[in-house]
Amino acid sequence: MNIESVAGRALPTTIPAYLAQLRAALHDADPAMVQDALYDAEEYLRSELAAQPGRSEAEVIADVAGSYGAPEEVAEIYRETEITVNRALRTPSAGAAPIRRAAPVSAGAQTAPPQAPPKPRSALARFFGVALEARTYGALFYMLLSLATGTFFFTWVVTGLSLSLGLMVLIIGIPVAVLFFGSVRGLSLLEGRLVEALLGERMPRRPTYSDRSRSWLQRIGDMFTDGRTWLTLLYFVLMLPLGIVYFTIATTLLSTSIGFIWTPVAALFSSDYVGIHIDGIQMLPIWVTPLLAIIGVLLLFATLHLARGIGHLHGMMAKHLLVRL
Amino acid sequence: MSDHEVHLKKFQKELSSGTVSLALLAVLAKAGEPLYGYLIAKELERVGEGVLSGKQSALYPVLRNLEGAGLLESHVEPSVAGPPRRYYRINDTGREVLSHWTAAWRATRDSVDSVLEGVTA
Repeated sequence: MNIESVAGRALPTTIPAYLAQLRAALHDADPAMVQDALYDAEEYLRSELAAQPGRSEAEVIADVAGSYGAPEEVAEIYRETEITVNRALRTPSAGAAPIRRAAPVSAGAQTAPPQAPPKPRSALARFFGVALEARTYGALFYMLLSLATGTFFFTWVVTGLSLSLGLMVLIIGIPVAVLFFGSVRGLSLLEGRLVEALLGERMPRRPTYSDRSRSWLQRIGDMFTDGRTWLTLLYFVLMLPLGIVYFTIATTLLSTSIGFIWTPVAALFSSDYVGIHIDGIQMLPIWVTPLLAIIGVLLLFATLHLARGIGHLHGMMAKHLLVRL
Repeated sequence: MSDHEVHLKKFQKELSSGTVSLALLAVLAKAGEPLYGYLIAKELERVGEGVLSGKQSALYPVLRNLEGAGLLESHVEPSVAGPPRRYYRINDTGREVLSHWTAAWRATRDSVDSVLEGVTA
């Protein structure tokens, strides 16, 4: 089945053209997946070319269309895999879906099992169910962590930019600027991994594809004219204020709700100091404390919902600023 | 494309969804050293027949999924030929899973073979 004729468009004759065609075939796909697909394809094509010295790029690509696949076929394969993976990664409902690759041949006779429609959950279950989802704690942890990462990113960017600009008068500013911009790309990939692991937003797993036919100097130039580099800088600068806000929201709400929850217990031991004091005067009678505990529980779950919401918004922002293609 | 070919293609696709993972794990378990995508693809191409000889671009996402599932480990090394390569290595969980899968595969293959025995097409 390797020798099938490749229908459709003419085969590209150079590796950049092949990658451009692959990118075009994936134009409506998730940008993070496109980045991975281009990276994989380039690794294969370059390795194949290196393994067959003396043959032209066009000949090698003609072979590769049989073994690796023509750009359109590759695009189709990645699209399908992404759907399968998304299905596999979805939080399993009651009867967890069987892991398909564990049963090598069982799928031969029948088509894919129909997805059971998810049962609608009551509003109450939805409100409290948030505590059972791993994503919630990921988002909460991200909010707490963002103070540290935000401070680091901000410092890195401000220091890097001012060092490069300041030293630009001397010739040494140029290599400093190049190194700094290179490091920003690496940090962007790192932040992407964090965002994907904790917030669940699909981010690139491979560095951006860079056109190898261009010289080193041209590629360095590309780094400065690429809009994504500047958006990444913007993201890193924004991370400081956002990190402070996220951290403050998380710690304030968590400590308030946990404090409320424990008021009845504290009231058992010393009724003098429990409750809400204004100007040193106790504002609440002691029987209100169980009520405070209930409010605390509600507040705690509301906080979890808020964390999820913030995580979702931040994931979308990271995607727009870090992986725009 | 005739009707039979459509059926065959569909069958091969479904057959390959699990067997490719099994084959990738086996190749990495046998290799004894970390391999990158291209080498793995070539190794499969060398021995591959039937569903394993499908398009090699399909292997890369599967490798990534196996790593995501914690059966493989990977690291990146720069290369002179192109972009940095990601080398994959099977870990202990992967080896355990492979032995279970191998048993499941053998059992399935044997029973399918015995069912097919004596069938005249």
